[in-house]
Order: sequence, then structure tokens, then C-alpha cells
Amino acid sequence: MKHTTALKALSVLALFIAMPHGTATAQSIEAERAATPEPTEERGQKVFNAETFTLDNGLEVVVIPNDRAPVLTHMVWYKVGAADEPIGTSGIAHYLEHMLFKGSKQVGGRELAPGEFSEIIRSMGGNDNAFTSQDYTAYFQSVPSEHLETVMRMEAGRMMEFVVPRDAFESERQVILEERRQRTDNDPRGQFGEQMAAAAYVNHPYSIPVIGWKHEMEVLSYEDAKGFFDKWYAPNNAILVVSGDVTPAEVFEKAIDIYGKIPKKDVPERDRTESPELNSRTLVTLDHPAIRQSVVQTLFRAPSARQSIKDARALEVLEEIMSGGPSSRLYQSLVTQQKIASGAGLSYRSTAWNDGSVYVYATPLAGQTLRGVHEALMEELRTLIKDGVTDKELQNAKNTMRDKAIYARDSLTGPAMIMGLGLSTGESIENIEYWPDEISDVTAADIQRVAKTYLNPDEFGPHPPVSGYLLPQGEKSGEE
Amino acid sequence: MKHILHTLLFAFTFVIAPVAHATVLDIEEVTSEGGITAWLVQDDSVPVIAMDFGFKGAGAAQDPQGKQGLARMLSNTMDEGAGSLNGQEFQEALREKAISLGFSASRDNFTGSLKTLTKNKARAFELAELALTKPRFDKEAVDRMREANISRIKSSLAGPDWKAARLINDRAFEDHAYALNSGGTLSSLQDITSKDLQKFHGRVIGKNNLHVAVAGDISAEELAVALDQIFGDLPDVEIEEPADHDITNQGSTYHFADDIPQTVIEMMQPGISRDDPDFQKAQVMNFILGSSGFGSRLTKEIRENRGLTYGIYSYFYNLDHLNGLSVSTSTANANVPEMLTLIKAEFEKIKAEPISDKELQDAKSYLIGSLPLSLTSTDKIAGLMNSIQLDGLPKDYLDTRNAEIEATTVEDIQAISQKILDPDAFVTVLVGKAEGWEENGLETTTIKKLPNVE
Repeated sequence: MKHTTALKALSVLALFIAMPHGTATAQSIEAERAATPEPTEERGQKVFNAETFTLDNGLEVVVIPNDRAPVLTHMVWYKVGAADEPIGTSGIAHYLEHMLFKGSKQVGGRELAPGEFSEIIRSMGGNDNAFTSQDYTAYFQSVPSEHLETVMRMEAGRMMEFVVPRDAFESERQVILEERRQRTDNDPRGQFGEQMAAAAYVNHPYSIPVIGWKHEMEVLSYEDAKGFFDKWYAPNNAILVVSGDVTPAEVFEKAIDIYGKIPKKDVPERDRTESPELNSRTLVTLDHPAIRQSVVQTLFRAPSARQSIKDARALEVLEEIMSGGPSSRLYQSLVTQQKIASGAGLSYRSTAWNDGSVYVYATPLAGQTLRGVHEALMEELRTLIKDGVTDKELQNAKNTMRDKAIYARDSLTGPAMIMGLGLSTGESIENIEYWPDEISDVTAADIQRVAKTYLNPDEFGPHPPVSGYLLPQGEKSGEE
Repeated sequence: MKHILHTLLFAFTFVIAPVAHATVLDIEEVTSEGGITAWLVQDDSVPVIAMDFGFKGAGAAQDPQGKQGLARMLSNTMDEGAGSLNGQEFQEALREKAISLGFSASRDNFTGSLKTLTKNKARAFELAELALTKPRFDKEAVDRMREANISRIKSSLAGPDWKAARLINDRAFEDHAYALNSGGTLSSLQDITSKDLQKFHGRVIGKNNLHVAVAGDISAEELAVALDQIFGDLPDVEIEEPADHDITNQGSTYHFADDIPQTVIEMMQPGISRDDPDFQKAQVMNFILGSSGFGSRLTKEIRENRGLTYGIYSYFYNLDHLNGLSVSTSTANANVPEMLTLIKAEFEKIKAEPISDKELQDAKSYLIGSLPLSLTSTDKIAGLMNSIQLDGLPKDYLDTRNAEIEATTVEDIQAISQKILDPDAFVTVLVGKAEGWEENGLETTTIKKLPNVE
């Protein structure tokens, strides 16, 4: 309740093939993204103790052993997502992900008919799903550990060749259009989120929603899907992550035997259009009859972990200080003391191939103007830029982050998610394993510097912040 | 390291060749000196302790007339100041030690969840005790949580799913406490005071309706001491149970007009009691008919073959005084009549024709084989145990469940389908824009005002 963030409901990071149940979404994984061994000052300890191996065909294999239950999670992450789609074919990365449940090969077995992949997983007592985001597409199964080889043969077969029957293509278009209606067209908060991103990432593919624009989804073709597969789906553009009751040796051995059969491809470099230098602040306003609770937010572009690991770690600690629960700065200031909002926070996303993002947001109480609450948020950023953070705040945040981190190991799928998410967006395995040390190294000066550089409401670089007002129809925002 | 693993391996042998006395989860019953009992699964693979506790019958169904949302507000305020700590200090104390403590109110029960690193357990138990026995309900915190709830309701009003949930509860549970909004209404929340919370807390949070489940890095001896420390000061309470309820307005279809492209559909018909000897057979039947994920008949026919929806699923909705069977889905407005016809047809089909041996076998393999996936973390294990306790089920429930599933036959599925499934009994709620519905033979009763919101 207290951690309700209007923003999180607005920002869709990844779309699943089926409604996930009991599986952590990319969002919640990011929230729990943290990990560390105990005594606070003990350095050099790995979080997950993962072991890695690269096959001759370029497939990177990561194993995270965890023998507490006789089950495993097997995931393949492709380093391709919606942001790699050819212009005019928005939604094809996600449509393709859906299609790959509609027929695929098996290494050392017969071809699977539409729907059969998931049926086999279920008959093993397993769950499977897949998701697509701007930068990655992942497929996963959680099954009893005796089925490791079978799921490998199936997933490797899916990687080998696009063999989806043409007649399975059309009905699935209706499914993705229904998915879009459910997420976006039925809900003004979804539409508002799309327009915020469109304004913030001008001329960059992050400005296009992962699900696609409706008019382009309606004309996507079978050839578009096959072309996207042929260009990007290859062992040398993928990461295999296995967590659970397995030994690294058996996973490597089986991976060589099964995934090793798939030839390497010439996969192009990611070539993405860039945002030009802009000089205008944007305000996105949506007043809508279905809205009763207004929301104000500002989106700043900030470095992803791939672009600057040092800045990313500083921003993560900054996020904890500003927004780590009800005793953090924004909640304390806007909700508890000023009593102008029912919720407030800051959310940083480091896992992106290009720019990451920082959202600062609040839900104003009745009687407050959006403009006024927005100013209060910006005032908190100004104070942060001017005075920095205290030693106590910094130390508390680090301790909390390191402590919380131990919880990350208390999960089967969580560690595989964290690993796949980081690696597919350009973090190194060391960044993930030694995350607690990298957090410990953040200084108060680092935090003040990143705040000043990336979260400055008054002076900005080539990508000015974008603010958004979502409000009931006819209500005044307080803007003149 | 291997405590759980061993028992789980056993469970697996069981799937392949049933073995007598196999246990899915090795639950130890711990009783404190003060007479408080808890279920414990010890596991030191991660230095974490998870404790889930529930107060039976203390949920939203106890909200007094005109105070909808009281149990929810109690769950929001118990961790907002206790003993000598005000709200901010209490939250800071939790944060400092990375302790998570939260409460929540379901319709039937009031539950709490505590998670701590082993090294911080003393502080965690102390804070849990304070929250349970000495909550302050300071006006500042109560007002803040009231505003947060009002804001949540207003935000939810932008989503058609939430509106459909309000409507189905109101129609299917008419004149019962279950029909009300457990999250409160915009006006009822205004009337909830610190005094109401204090009173409600004293009335429903007791030692005699408490159930505790613990998993993780703690010994039985230590737990016994902690139980008396945390819960020892609670009084005994007397809870008046609500009456049993039969689904109301069966066979009626209601429409709430919303200017959106896709209609949200919620349906409910009578289900089956947990006490019914055929309960597990009914679960197998529903798995085949409409479980979420791929492979169920509803998903195959309606999503995969026809592309009419992104998601459709059916599930048993069991409360202490109510047994329902629900179907949830959504589809483009114009497709609604076709969708309803198709759902009905799938219900009739499974009643009329025996399922295949393969369908039965696959369902059993999944329902039994996937159980270990629910036991992969400390909090999942504690949570599952606590829900078994609150449902009044015995310690060996997971084992008997598996055995009953394993024993289910094709004939059983047909018999249970015929006994339960009755698509003519559906109460149906549609939130969306009517497009050619009447022309296609769909008659609805219009609902103009959302119940239990304002």
C-alpha cells in the first residue's frame, strides 16, 4: 500500500506471452534486484556464485546452482528486442515471441505442433512463459530437474529454425491486438505511459511501445516475423541461464551436446537511431473522463549500467535514499510532512542497452494542484543537488541494500532473472556478482554529481526532462 | 542445506511409483510453554526466517455496517507506529535492519507476514510483538493511510477489471458481507477513526484464532520462545461468523457501460466445498477445463484457435461461507455474444463427453509434479503452510491431496463435471461498450452506478 507507485503501473517493461502467474515480472525482479553476502564490510564475496562457459558457436552459458528443491529454471535470453525492429514494423519482436509457441523444431526429436511446446512442459509438472522488452526477449521453463535435457532439446530446437506454419499466424494477430486493448486501449494510464516515452525518446526506438502501434500491428506479415528471427536469433546472440538443482558440469556438457549443434550466424551490430539534441521541456497532459486520481511525473534520461556502471550504482543508492519505503526522503517530505500527496517516489532503471530512465512521481491529494505538487518534487531534487546526502543516509542506504540483497538468493527463478536481465543489457557478470562491493564504493560526492548531471530540473543537457500530468477531465492542472 | 530437498525428492518418487508415508513437506509442530502452536519447516540454506501468521475469521467480512474497509485500514496502520515508536520511527526501525513486516486482510482472515535475516531476528520479533500488541493508531498515521486508500480507489476506477470485480461481488453475493468492498468506499473510509481501529483490533486479533507457520533458519527451541514473546500477550476473542451464502442472481447478465474497445467479462456459478470428498477431483477437472497458462480447453479453443482473447481462465473461488466457480476473460466488444456461447459450449462438452486418458494423465502430472515449484523459497513455504492452517486442513494435507489427485479417473471427471458445471447458473458481468449484442441474442440488465465505490 505505502509503496504504491502510480508510475510502476504506467511503465510496462516487458510483455509476457501469457499472463504470468506466480512468476516474477521484470518489474518486481528489478525491485528485488539486490544481493550480497553478510558482514557489512566483507568484500570480494560473490552474490550468486554462478559459473559460466561459452560454447564454440558463441552461446554464453551461466549456471547458478541451488539445491534446495529438485527443480530448475531454464532460460534463454536473446539480445534483441522491440528497439531493434525495422521502422514501420512495431510489435514484430513481441509477435514473433508469441509465434514461437506455435511450432518449433526439437534437437534430436520430431517437430512440435502449435501449442505443443507448453503442453509438454505442463505434462512434466512445469511452467513456461516468455517475455519481450525493448532490449531483450526471453523464454523460460521451470521444471523438475530430471527434465533438464528435454527442455534443452526443445529450447535449442526453437533457436534452430523458424518453422511456424503460416496458418497459425493470423489468429495470433487477434491475440496481440486483444493484448494491446487490455493493456493500453482500455486504460488511459497505459496510453499516457506510451506518450511519455514517445516524448522523452524522440527519434529513438524506445519511443515506440513494445506491443507496437495498433496500425502497424494490423499489417505485420509472416515474412516480417521470419525475417526478424533469421536476423537475430542465433546462439552467438543469446545467453542460456540455468538455476536450480543442477551442477555446472552437467549443464555445460549437455549444452555442448545440444545447443552446440546450432551453427553461428552473422548477427549485425545493434544499430539504433539516436535522439537529436533538443532544447524544449515537454509537458504531456492527458485529461480523461475515466481518471479520478491525478498523477504527476517527470522522466529524466540517465545512463544505463552499460553506459556507465559508476553512475548507475550511484543512481541506485540515490533511489534508495529518495524512495526506499515510507522513511525515505520523498515520502517523508510530500506525504508525511507537507501532506500534499498520498504517495511519492523515484524509480531508476539501469537495465537498458541505451539510455536508462529516472521517473520522479507523486499522486496529489484532493485540493492540491498538479503544478504545486510537481514543484514540490522538483524542490526535493534541487535540495539534493545543492546539499547532497548525509553520511548517515548514505550508510543506512548501503546497509539496507546489502542486507536486502541476501534475500535475492532465496528464490529459484529470481537469480536467473537478475542474471539474464543484466547480461542481456550489457552488464558484466562481475558487475552482478560483486554488486554489493560496487554499492559500497558509492560516495556522497558521486550521488550529488549524478543528481546534478542527470536530475537537474533547471539546467539540462541534450535531452530535457519530460513531465506528465494525468488528470480528470476538466480539472485544472494549475498551469497558466 | 538439504532438509527440504530430501523430503521433496521423496515426493518425486511418489509421482512415479506411489510410496507409503511419503511426505511433500516435513512439518514439525512446535508448541511454546504458553501453549501457542506453530508449524515449522527448518532450512538453513539461506540465512533467512519467514513467519506467516493468520487470525481466523478476522477479515473484511467482520467490517461493521457503514465501515467497509475497516479490516483493510487495520492492516495498513498496525505497522505505522507501536509502543514508543511513531509511524516514521517504526518504519525506520524496519528499514534499518531490512526487516519486512506487513499485514493484510482477506475477506475471511487477517494475516501478517514477517521476514528477517537470521542476524536481525531479535529485533524482528520485538517489532512484530509491538505491532500486534501495542499498535498506536496515531491520528496522523490513520489519516495518511485513509488518504492512500482513497487515492487507490480513485486510481483503480480507471481500470475496467476493478469495476467488474465490484459488480460481480455485488450481484453474486447480494445481501452478504462478501458483497461489500473490502478495500472500503470513498465515503466509508472517511468515517473510520482511530477508536474504530482500536476496537476492531481488540475484537478480532486473538490468541485463540491464531495460526502460525514458520520456515527457514530457526530451531524449534528458539521458535518456541519467540512464539510466547510475540503472541503471548494477545487475549482470547469471540468472533461471530457470517452466514453461509448461495450465489445470488443466477442466470442473470449485467452490463455496465464503459466507453472502451474491449469488454471485461466476469462470471460466477456455484462451486464445490473444500469439505466435499470430491474437492480434489474437481480441481483436476478445472485444470483440464480452464486453468491459466497454455493447454486448458478454454485457452485452446478461445485464444489459440480463434484469437478472441489474450487470456481466459476458470477457477474455484472458495471462501469460508461461499463456494463459487468463476470465469474471467476479456474480448473486443463485438465478440462478447460469441465468447459467451463458446464458454458455455466448453462447459457442456466436458459434461457430455469423457476426457481423454492423456488429458487426465497430463493434468495429474502437472498438479502433483509442479508442487515443488511452490516450495522454492522460505516465504513461499511459510505462506503455503499458513493458508493450509487457515483453511482448517491437517499437516499432511499436501500428501492426501496428491493421493486423491492420483486416484482420479476419467469417469470421476465426467461425474464431477455433471454435478458442478451449470453454465445456465452463471451470474455474468460485462464492463464495456455494447456492440450488436442484442442483435446477437444477448440480453442484459443495465447497471448505472457502481456499487460500493462512492
